[in-house]
Amino acid sequence: MSTTRRHLVQGVGGMALASGLAAPALAQGGVRVARVWGEPGPYGGVFVQGMNEWAQRNNANVRFEVEQIPWDGVTVKLTTDLAARRPPALISVESPIAYQLAAEELLEPVEDVNRAIRAQERLVDGFTLEQFGAWKGVQYAVPVHHQPCLLVVQKDVIDELGLGDPGAWNWDQFANAARTIAERKPGMSGYTMALGRNLCADYHITQFIWQAGGLTWDTRDNFKTVFDSPATVEAFEMIRRLQPAMPRSAVEFSFLQVVDQHVAGRTAMSAYWGRTMGRAAEETPALFNNMEYYLNPAHPRTGARWSWTDINGWIIPRRDNPFIRETKEAVAYVSNSVDWMVRYSQSLMPNVGPVFKDVASAPAMLAHPFYQSKPRSLDVIFKDSVPHACNTGLEQKRGVNPLAGVAHGRSVWAQAVQRMLLNNEAPKTAVEWGHRQFEGIRRDNARMLAR
Amino acid sequence: MTRRDVMLRLFLYAALTAVTFLVCFPLIWAFFTSMKPKDEIFLWPPTLWPSTWTLENYRALLVGRDAYFQAGGSSGGTPPPSAFFLDWFWNSVIVTVCTTLITTIVSTLAAYSLTRFSFPGQRAVPYLALVGYMVPSIIFVFPMFLVMVDLRLTDTLLSLIMGYVCITLPFSMWLMWAFFRGVPVEIEEAALVDGASRLRVFWEIVLPTAWPGIVAAAIFTLIVSWNDYLFGRVFMNSMEKLPLTVGVMHFFDGTHVDWGLMMASSVLMTLPMAILFMLFQRHLVAGFGAGAVKG
Amino acid sequence: MAGARPAAPERRRFTLSDRQVGILFMLPFIVTAALFMVWPVVEAVRMAFYAYNPLRPDDIYWVGFENFERIFDDPLFWESFRQALVWTGWSILFQTVLGVALALLLNLTLPGMAIFRGLLLFPYIVPTVVIALNWRWIFNSEIGIVNHALLSAGIISENIAWLSTPDMAMLSAILLNVWKYTPFVVICVLARLQTIPTELYDAAKVDGAGAWRRFMDITLPMLKEVLVVVIVFRTIWTFNKFEEIYLLTRGGPGTSTFNLAVYAFEEGMANLRLGVAAATGVVMIALLLVGTIIYVRVSGFGREEKTA
Repeated sequence: MSTTRRHLVQGVGGMALASGLAAPALAQGGVRVARVWGEPGPYGGVFVQGMNEWAQRNNANVRFEVEQIPWDGVTVKLTTDLAARRPPALISVESPIAYQLAAEELLEPVEDVNRAIRAQERLVDGFTLEQFGAWKGVQYAVPVHHQPCLLVVQKDVIDELGLGDPGAWNWDQFANAARTIAERKPGMSGYTMALGRNLCADYHITQFIWQAGGLTWDTRDNFKTVFDSPATVEAFEMIRRLQPAMPRSAVEFSFLQVVDQHVAGRTAMSAYWGRTMGRAAEETPALFNNMEYYLNPAHPRTGARWSWTDINGWIIPRRDNPFIRETKEAVAYVSNSVDWMVRYSQSLMPNVGPVFKDVASAPAMLAHPFYQSKPRSLDVIFKDSVPHACNTGLEQKRGVNPLAGVAHGRSVWAQAVQRMLLNNEAPKTAVEWGHRQFEGIRRDNARMLAR
Repeated sequence: MTRRDVMLRLFLYAALTAVTFLVCFPLIWAFFTSMKPKDEIFLWPPTLWPSTWTLENYRALLVGRDAYFQAGGSSGGTPPPSAFFLDWFWNSVIVTVCTTLITTIVSTLAAYSLTRFSFPGQRAVPYLALVGYMVPSIIFVFPMFLVMVDLRLTDTLLSLIMGYVCITLPFSMWLMWAFFRGVPVEIEEAALVDGASRLRVFWEIVLPTAWPGIVAAAIFTLIVSWNDYLFGRVFMNSMEKLPLTVGVMHFFDGTHVDWGLMMASSVLMTLPMAILFMLFQRHLVAGFGAGAVKG
Repeated sequence: MAGARPAAPERRRFTLSDRQVGILFMLPFIVTAALFMVWPVVEAVRMAFYAYNPLRPDDIYWVGFENFERIFDDPLFWESFRQALVWTGWSILFQTVLGVALALLLNLTLPGMAIFRGLLLFPYIVPTVVIALNWRWIFNSEIGIVNHALLSAGIISENIAWLSTPDMAMLSAILLNVWKYTPFVVICVLARLQTIPTELYDAAKVDGAGAWRRFMDITLPMLKEVLVVVIVFRTIWTFNKFEEIYLLTRGGPGTSTFNLAVYAFEEGMANLRLGVAAATGVVMIALLLVGTIIYVRVSGFGREEKTA
């Protein structure tokens, strides 16, 4: 072949190839696909099934597909998807991220949806609509579930060692119990929490800080950084005190490893959400039978039992999202259906607590076997925890703070604790380091706060 | 052969075998793990030889997305990452092949031109290639990402191809240049004197001679493209568009760490590279030797 | 066949002159290089002077040298730098020593050597993801095979947490790097070894030189050039490598296995500060330019090849 002809063929072939390869991930013609982000777990998929039922019944030319976002990859995923202007149609992520996105003006207001589902009147006592995701008076989140992080306990071990009633413990009794278990039960840790440089560790650590009365930022004082305080130092010291009773590799742990430890029987107590019970029921019934959930041990001075709770609502990206209308209608459809919401909550019992009164008290909901086998724990998880529910973006329920999402991107809390545990810094030094980081975050994002 | 020689030989063989075993161990172990059922994988102390051989891990990976949905995973239900393995595999193959074609052709042509003709700025090109070779992919990623966003090309295989060209073109260019420098011009000149056109000389004489170098460059590009993680991580969003490297990391972040699946994917991911390597080993050694040592 | 025949002057139209062929052949490279090599680097340098949050693309603003000030003030940056040096230094040391030793072994003309050669060069082609996952599996402190083997052999009395302490994590990362890239050294050294004429060795043997003497006096000087090249190359590349560290430890535990590439990634993707990531990139480019200059000086790049 002559040169020119060869190059021509190459050129045409190249163009064909390029156009084929450049075809975006949407289906060719036909049904449009709307992506829905959910946490790892079956519940996102259940909700999306409900949404697809709406789509079918209303002949909407859209199919919703759920995509599980691993917790540790959330911020990176935000960058690659939102910044790349390929947002999903609907997102359910941890509260702090939701607050951050709301303040960044990336979300669609959803008052219309909340009105359509009568969210205000149906909401379970103890929560307000704003706590799910409101910023500067506008609602951006449709309530879907709540998940408190509590003390998960193998009651038989506690009873065997005569350690009392975990529900009545304070910090000292709790630390004592953990230590006793670690000493007297070989091969078993007294307590497990996440201490890796990740989101889970951030959550577990901040619980202690609030219980001691500390805060990272003061939302009622212009988001002033108040991390460096005696309360925070106290919390750090508590973690250090607990460390000998924890598994040695706890400094690597994230969500998964904590559950694994507990469900494999290698720890008597752990800090976690409802998923541990769900997995135990499936994988190790013997452990499940002896498993109980308790409110976090009270701080001896403040009496606080704050627990890091995911006050989770659906949020909708505002830009480059062609499915806003369909998404809103589908979400309203599913949220209004007690049947679907019961299925949602039951898809991973008791990890996703119902947020609507009619769902929480529905006969179908109460028919779940866990209400027979674990009524006390379920009460604690679904009801008793609500007064103590807050999270890093809603510290001590004192108002929404979008800075938390930014700080979680770097797991600043976890890093601060790791400086104490791995680099052997004094708690106060580590806390001061953390304070500087938080102050830096506040300054960097002053524009976002001012909007 | 004296007794001493025999002993020496045995010792050398033993040493080599031991080292080889150690070196290959991770993958041997991965293979064994991939053939074990889930309960056996989590046993402690671990079984060295699988007590039960199973293909369940491979089956889970190779079932494909459509089969998964037909098997009862309803739409809206959450397909596990393993359902996407075939998609990832196919993506990696397409992108790797395209990148290799582009990079090899471009650098071969350019290297020939560079070593046979003279241009202004000719001496700078190998230096440019060398520096480009040293620039780590993390530097390319962010500017390219922003461009892809503007061109609306994120989450497409084309963006990956472009990214991979960034990181493979320099070394390929440099390798081909070094190789062509070592190809004697006498034969070409003889043919040219006889009246053959430059293109014909290139096609019929130079290419066959340079073939080992070209193959080496192509293999190198293949390996680097197959291997890359960073571009895939930053450019791609949808599960079904991911390349293999990024996809398999999803097994790790979910609700269960399925070591069996991961080891099976390790084996499947390495297999194409291993086959290529066995076939073209000699070329690779020759190419590296020529490229790295010369100049 | 279309194209020129030697004795058909009418066909000259389809024959391109030397100059035209030359330009035509160079053109794809020029275009591709400009788009995919030159432009991204230039842009990366430019971005270092702006504040860029990827979630707020309309909000880019000039900050001059502020990004550089930020990273030079950041203890984590220097920590990453130091750790990169540690990781690179030990990796290169082991790679070189092991690489030369293996190359010497593989150079022997014993039967079956081709098989060993193939197997030993294998790690180079294994995708980094695969080896990182495998490492995490075999070095798993609870159920990994390495701990089991060490325990059974009585070398340790309790499981080592390979990836949960800073030192062990660094060691694991170094091991991974050595495992993966020693074959590269072996290939280069082997190629050179095979060009050393055997007469030199024969002559030395006749003179009564032992194996060690032969190595020191003949082999090593011959290898010096290759080794220097390989060392400089491997150093530059290892220092800036992202995947090996990130996929194995994600820079952890804590930030104890951070290197500059991981630092840049975190700044860009997790902290949403692309300008700072770009500034780190500029530092990396500066470092590798220094390395390149050293390489060029030392390897005599461009000069005529010295005869053996």
